[in-house]
Formats: sequence, structure tokens, C-alpha cells
Amino acid sequence: MTTEEAFETIDMMLNMGPQHPATHGVFRMMLTVDGEKVIDVTPHIGYLHRGSEKLAENENYGQVITLFDRLDYVSNLNNELIFCRAVESLMAVDVPARAQYIRVILAELNRLASHLLFIGTYAIDLGAMTPIMYGFRERERIENLFESVTGARMMHNFIRIGGVKEDVPVDFMQRTREVLDRVEHGVAELDRLLTFNEVFLARTQGVGKIDAAMAISCGLTGPSLRASGVPYDVRKDDTYEIYRNLNYKVPIGENGDCWDRYYMRVLECNESIAMIRQCLEQIEKGPVIAEIRRIVRPPKGEVYVHGENPRGDIGVFLVSDGSDKPYRVKVRPPSFCNLVALRPMMKEAYIADAVSILGSLDIVLGEVDR
Amino acid sequence: MTERPTDNQKLDESIVDLTAGKPSETAVDGLNPKGQEFSKIMNKALAGYKVTSGGRGDMPSVLIQKDDLTAIAGMCKKDLGMDMLHCLFAVDYEDYLEINYVLFSIQNDQKLLLKIHLPAEKPRVSTLEHLWISANWYERETRDLFGVEFDGSSDLSPLLLFDGFEGNPGLRSFPLHDYEEW
Repeated sequence: MTTEEAFETIDMMLNMGPQHPATHGVFRMMLTVDGEKVIDVTPHIGYLHRGSEKLAENENYGQVITLFDRLDYVSNLNNELIFCRAVESLMAVDVPARAQYIRVILAELNRLASHLLFIGTYAIDLGAMTPIMYGFRERERIENLFESVTGARMMHNFIRIGGVKEDVPVDFMQRTREVLDRVEHGVAELDRLLTFNEVFLARTQGVGKIDAAMAISCGLTGPSLRASGVPYDVRKDDTYEIYRNLNYKVPIGENGDCWDRYYMRVLECNESIAMIRQCLEQIEKGPVIAEIRRIVRPPKGEVYVHGENPRGDIGVFLVSDGSDKPYRVKVRPPSFCNLVALRPMMKEAYIADAVSILGSLDIVLGEVDR
Repeated sequence: MTERPTDNQKLDESIVDLTAGKPSETAVDGLNPKGQEFSKIMNKALAGYKVTSGGRGDMPSVLIQKDDLTAIAGMCKKDLGMDMLHCLFAVDYEDYLEINYVLFSIQNDQKLLLKIHLPAEKPRVSTLEHLWISANWYERETRDLFGVEFDGSSDLSPLLLFDGFEGNPGLRSFPLHDYEEW
């Protein structure tokens, strides 16, 4: 045996998940590694497949909202909103202005809660235990606010077809202002603690780079796409609800690496806070739900509606056959599409960076598997 | 054995008029100005096909022949700048399957819905994997749930279902209850 043959390396398969703390749920990836380098990755999903789309075909329109709660289970209200918008679009219902404001306030608060959770868990993925305590402390304030409005901390079932379930409590505006002040302070604190930390920078800068063309081809959307320098935000480009009345910026990244994807979300937190403050200024008294039947029967037809979720561009395709149950509900879940981009991102990365790259995509498996 | 009335049928009897909302104007035949403009471009590009409203303000839809799919999708990507496959999914109409491709152009902010009809028995269509990377996962999902085969795909292993699952749970003929769990 010559020396060269003796030192020849062979590719090794390394299994990560489905029970791995850094996969944020039941997600498994097969890494093909050559030494410390990742050559290829094969993601395996479907462990949490509950057939939500099939179940939705057998429920009334009002009942489907509860299924949407359970897709992306850390931003429930955004999910409820997109389904209700799809039904309203099919029925051509005008939603009262106050209801639209309440929906946007709740959706943006939920985006805030979702991003705070991301910042905390991402730091844990990279070995820093403190930020999740900070993140959860602020998130808890928002969850308490949700509880006072909807009666539930998660799985709210609050947004209804044509509006919202009921008006917000009398002290809601005041409490929201207080919570926003605290959360703003908390986000700044997290930002100071983590963003320019030297170890954090070393683990994230230049890791998992993806260029704009590849990201678009993979179907990447949301903050992860904007990190690659593509200024696309559904709230701006295909505006809905009352987002057109709000003045806000869409943060755009440059490098498309893990750090940019993280930082987009920190900046979005601040934008969301600004948006909610404007909503609280602009909101006026009025009805909170359009006058429609409790059990709705949209006219025959089909509609495709999309909106901006914390994780990206969520789309809902709805086919109605005129009955009280949808004929077909198709969800385009942002996490599912973002996960497609995992493979190009992982090319030539190190094993240690695999967790960093996966974490920066901020997937929720309830939505990936449906 | 007579069939028991389902809860839904009871509901139907108890509530007389459930038709809600006005006759939909925006949903059925209305494209907004942006959609109409794009619809004109599409009409020119797809001579011989009828471009209609996709049920949403800015998204025209067009039903095309199965054999033209690769050529038209390629043309949309190359000439019209449709750089993202926003979504791909099947709708089971029992007599036939309808495959929908939501194409999206980020640069021009335009959307297009391409539809093809496939027979319910052994549906087959060619893959679009070479145009958009994201097509692969959508196609695997559609194969899992609806049994559509995508010719020329590099990988069609089950994505959402486990290996060895029998049947296609997305189809309307697949029972919601009363099937053998593993």
C-alpha cells in the first residue's frame, strides 16, 4: 500500500435529527461530510405531517381558522389573517377600518414575538444561553397582551372572516403602548448584547452565503431573501389591510450570510414597533366585523392570496364550490420553501456551521410539514 | 342501511339562506389595471390561448396544453422574467386533476397562474426542475399527495409521507377516517 492510498479520505454520512435540539422540531438532515466539510445535505421532513390541507376540506370556513393557527405555531395571528383574507377576497367583503387596524396591530405584535423567539433560540444554537432569557422576557409581555385580547396565549382563533371576534379591551391601547416601550428597550438590549459580539460574528459572518439569483430560484422569501439584497416585501409591494397608511422602511441586507439574516430580523422588530405605534395613533372607533353570516358560503371560484409572515411570503389558494366547506385549501408555507435553500447554503460549509445555517432560516416544522 | 345525516346536513336544514356577501365583483372577472396590463402582454406572448382572471386582482390565469408546459414555462422565465416558482399544487376535480403553477416575477412584480389538466388515471407531466430549483420539493409533495408522476425529475422519493405509505391522501377519494394506520 502506498502512502497516498493510506491517507485517502472517504465521504461519511452523518445523521442529524429528528431528535436534535438544534433542529427546532422533528427535522432530520443527512450530511455527507468529507472530514469537517459538508459536501451535500439531504433534508428529510414530514414527521409532523397532519394533513391540514385535507382536514380543511372537511371543515366549515370558520373552523378552518383553527387549523391555520396550528401551521406556524409561533405566529398564529398572521396565519389566521391570511386565511380570512383569502375568504374575504372570494366573497368580496369589505372589512371595517377598525378591524383592519386591530388585525395589523395583532399581526405586527405577533411578528415581534416571533422574531424575539428567533433571536433567543438562534443564540442558543450558537452556544449563548443568556439571550433567550431576554427574548422570552419581552415575548412574555406580548403573550400577556394577547391573552387579554383573545383569551389565549397561543392558538387564538381571534381573527374572523370579515373582521375580528370582538373589540379589544378598553385598556388595550394604553397597555400596548407600555409594552412597546418595554419591548423596544428589550430589543435594544438584545442588540447590544449579541449583534456585534465577537464570537457571534465569527460564527455567522460569511457563513451560509447565498446570492440573490439562487435565493429566488429556491423560492426563498421574507427576511432571509431580503438579507441577500432583494427588496421584496409583500406589505409594500402587494399591499393589503391598512399597511398603505403606515410609514416604515424595509431593511435590506447585502451579503446574504447568516449574520445578515439575523440582523434583518432585529431591524424588523424596530420597524414593527414603529408600525404599531402609528396604528395606535390612527385607529378610530367603529364596528369590528362586517355584517355577514356566521356560516359563510363564498360563491364558486378560486383565489390566490399572499401576505408577509414573519418567516416569509405565505400564500393561500382557495377553491370554493359554493358550499359551506372549502373545496381545496392549499398553503404555500414560507418555511417549506426556505428549507429548499438549505442545500445551496450548506455547500462547502463546516459541520459546526450546519446548525448556524439551519438556525438562521428560522423554520417552524408545523408549517413545513402541515 | 340508510345513511345517517351528517352534522353538516342538519346544519343545512336549520339555516335557510346562507349565501353571504354580495355577488363577487373583484373575485370573478375583475383584473385590476396592473393585472390587465400584464394580461395584454400574456395574450401577445401566448397566441392561441385565452388568458383569464385568476380570481385575484393582478394575477391572470391561463389553461395550457400539457405538452406545451415546458416550452411556455421556459418562455415565461426567459422572456418575461418570471424568476420564482411561487407555488405548485394540484386540485382534484375527480374527473381530472388540475395542476397549478404560480409564477412570480420579483423584478416586475407580476404573477401568472399556469394551469394544466391531467387525467385522473395515471397522471404524468414533465418536470420543471431545470427552470426553478424549488420545483423539486413541490413536485415531490404533489406526487405524495396526488400521485402525479413528474417525468425527468432527478429525485421523486416521498417527502411528506413515510416510505411505503399506500395511497394518495390528497385525493378526494381517500377517506378522511377509517383507513388502516401503520
